[in-house]
Amino acid sequence: MTEISIAAASTVTGADLPAARLGQRFGRLDLQSQLALLAVASLNVNFDGLPRDRTGICLAASAGSLSTDVNFWNGRHAVGGPSPTLFAYTLPSAAVGEVAIHFRLTGPNLCFVGDDKIILPEAADLLRRGEADACVCIYCDVVTADCSKIISLPPAAMARAFFLKNGGGGICTLPEFDRDMKALSAIIFQTKSAG
Amino acid sequence: MREPEVVIAGCGVISAVGCGVGPLRTALQNNASGLRASEKFSAPRFLSNIVGPAPRNPDDDNPAWFLAAEALQQARANAGRALATIPAEKTGLILSTTKANIEALERISAGRPCSETARRHLRADLLAADLAAAHGARGPVQTVSTACVSGLVAISQAAKTIQRGDADAVLVVGVDCLSEFVVAGFTALKALDPQGCRPFDQDRSGLSPGEAGAAVVLVRADLCAQPAIKVRAFGGSNDANHLTGPSRDGSGLAQAIRVALSAAKLNPSEIDFVHAHGTGTGYNDAMESLALKTVFGEACPPVSGAKGMLGHTLGAAGVIETICCVLAMENNFLPGTPRLSHAAEGTPPGLVREPRPAARLKNVLKLNTGFGGLNGALILSHD
Amino acid sequence: MQISTHELKSKIIESLKLQDITPEQIDDDAPLFGTGLGLDSIDALELVVLLEKEYGIVIKDIEEGRPAFRSVRTLADFIAVKRPQ
Repeated sequence: MTEISIAAASTVTGADLPAARLGQRFGRLDLQSQLALLAVASLNVNFDGLPRDRTGICLAASAGSLSTDVNFWNGRHAVGGPSPTLFAYTLPSAAVGEVAIHFRLTGPNLCFVGDDKIILPEAADLLRRGEADACVCIYCDVVTADCSKIISLPPAAMARAFFLKNGGGGICTLPEFDRDMKALSAIIFQTKSAG
Repeated sequence: MREPEVVIAGCGVISAVGCGVGPLRTALQNNASGLRASEKFSAPRFLSNIVGPAPRNPDDDNPAWFLAAEALQQARANAGRALATIPAEKTGLILSTTKANIEALERISAGRPCSETARRHLRADLLAADLAAAHGARGPVQTVSTACVSGLVAISQAAKTIQRGDADAVLVVGVDCLSEFVVAGFTALKALDPQGCRPFDQDRSGLSPGEAGAAVVLVRADLCAQPAIKVRAFGGSNDANHLTGPSRDGSGLAQAIRVALSAAKLNPSEIDFVHAHGTGTGYNDAMESLALKTVFGEACPPVSGAKGMLGHTLGAAGVIETICCVLAMENNFLPGTPRLSHAAEGTPPGLVREPRPAARLKNVLKLNTGFGGLNGALILSHD
Repeated sequence: MQISTHELKSKIIESLKLQDITPEQIDDDAPLFGTGLGLDSIDALELVVLLEKEYGIVIKDIEEGRPAFRSVRTLADFIAVKRPQ
């Protein structure tokens, strides 16, 4: 079986956003899309060397798009009505769309609601099935204070990204047994600082 | 798709044309429309009050659960013989939804009564977990949310789960409900047709929201004794162009179709029928027509769309529209395109206006596209 | 009454959450859509909301707004004419 390796990894939080320089329109994105985009940009992957239609995106969002949903709904009484821009982001796949647009990635997309355990196995499967040669993996944990009051999740503003590709030579190969992004991330960041 | 093969062993549905697969088949054969004016959306702050409501209690605080559970119950009953041989641990569930039980957010914000379960099901992954527990699925559970392509992605994910041996059967359920949230949102985007959607029509001017619960039971082919429709291949892509507007030239959708055809080892000429996404917006239908022209050239197979019948059911769309394809294939007819009056310039010449009998539909292509530039193409096959 | 283009540009920047740009950097006559500032269809809808919220102007049909949205100057002129007194 061909090796699949993790070529890059990143973690970003809300505190990293003010320093982000991702274009004039970055402000229009919702918080989850901003964090997802920043996490992918922080991978420092050069997508130019890859066929764009063979690079996938696989994202999981702990709370779906509920923080933005709450934001949108809270603005429903505004003069002129609720924000059309916000409505466009009331989908967890909006973050996938923004990453695709920014990096011009036209390959297959997967987007889940729930924890991060699903991401790496599904992304690896895309590669093994030959549907993609590489995959941008993203986990978003975004829960605003307003949203936290409504659903039973603590406030959070974090995104983690991995870049998966066929072949070896990355930071580490994808272990068959342990697909926990958080645990992997800890190992990778340990490896990176040691190396 | 890889071996083993995966088939659809049973279906279940509740939508604007009623409860059950029988009423859906009847509606398809009669080119009926379930769209109607709704008091609930008649206030001036909504751009259109023409919607596709399902038969349910309008005061239910958890319509997502109700619609999903109803569809699952029907599908499991219809797949009874195949499912009976498969243990719960080898039965998975995949939920496809964009907004889960968004009704709860509206109630909580308005200070109206809202049960804990209704609130819990605001979170799509918890809705999926509870549906799995209630419907005998102790295998893998996934919650797919890829905008309006969710249903097709969920079906594809179910097939993959079975092919890699993580399950022998997967219950795929798609659900989305009519809500002020969604109608207000599409109003803000000015994407609703005040007269109700008219897919592929020259006077079309927007979509009509609909609600539905739709479920299909996918099983490993060798575990299904009766002949059944195969989930043959899926292709996905992203336009990488704009968040709410499709790529004008349809190239992203064309790419998804080509990926599906390649995975199915089929030529375009082997597709007998295309079931379109056809929302009724200016951009979508034009783009879809272009994509079909790109792939099929002048030899486009018959095409039709169901959103004039059901409305745009968002997370349920891919599943319920796949069921429309299954019904067409099982009953040898081509569905029409309800609410179409005058086809717009550039629409495929094979656009089917009224239903008609068809010779055996061996390979059918189902298309959906969604916000975020997502595209999906599913191929279903008869043996 | 004519509104200042500076004020209008500030409101546009704020409403569309444009980053790293000041009103001085937006030319009065530069195209807003396509080239120039490069706004898109969602921005057009937000500007419709802005017109209602800040100036009390209600645009029923987006086509009505199209000529007005060509540049900051045409938008300012439109507001001066349509604004309820």
